[in-house]
Amino acid sequence: MDFSQLNSAEQAQMTKIIEKKQMQDFLRLYSGLVERCFNSCCNDFTSKALSSKEEQCVMNCADKFLKHSERVGQRFAELNADAMGPKP
Amino acid sequence: MSFLGRGGPSPAGGVNHERIEMAINEIDMVSDVFNRIVSSCHAKCISPRYAEGDLNKGESVCIDRCVAKFFEVNKKVGEKMQSAGASAQATGSTSFSL
Repeated sequence: MDFSQLNSAEQAQMTKIIEKKQMQDFLRLYSGLVERCFNSCCNDFTSKALSSKEEQCVMNCADKFLKHSERVGQRFAELNADAMGPKP
Repeated sequence: MSFLGRGGPSPAGGVNHERIEMAINEIDMVSDVFNRIVSSCHAKCISPRYAEGDLNKGESVCIDRCVAKFFEVNKKVGEKMQSAGASAQATGSTSFSL
């Protein structure tokens, strides 16, 4: 995905578009993570408040998912670069 | 599989909308694949017990292999679809129609 073929007006537009997509992606990540951690960790509804066990579980869940996502990103970038092939 | 660089010259200092469209499509495609990989490999490699906040060694190795396999599958399915498309074109029929 190289942008050297686009002129500067196109690059400026692409930068704006990419920023907007990154923002949308971030919001999607956030709400997805909330749902995921809630579904895995919160199964006891005898009380309104989060128990300390549930809270710890949610913290671990969020932590783990973000680290997982980061690692996938690293591997993805490596393999994607290989798949695209060396630049001419 | 980069679509950038094709799609006609741009007007001087102006914006070639076709190329912008193709760049946007490529970005959407890549980020869709990325999100699917994150989701699938999380389901396959990480147990939902969440005993701690860090990835242990087993999970890390699993993630590396999962991403590599996903790319392999992606490539093979792509090749299959290409050959299916090519043979469908040759026989003049398609295997699915809307």
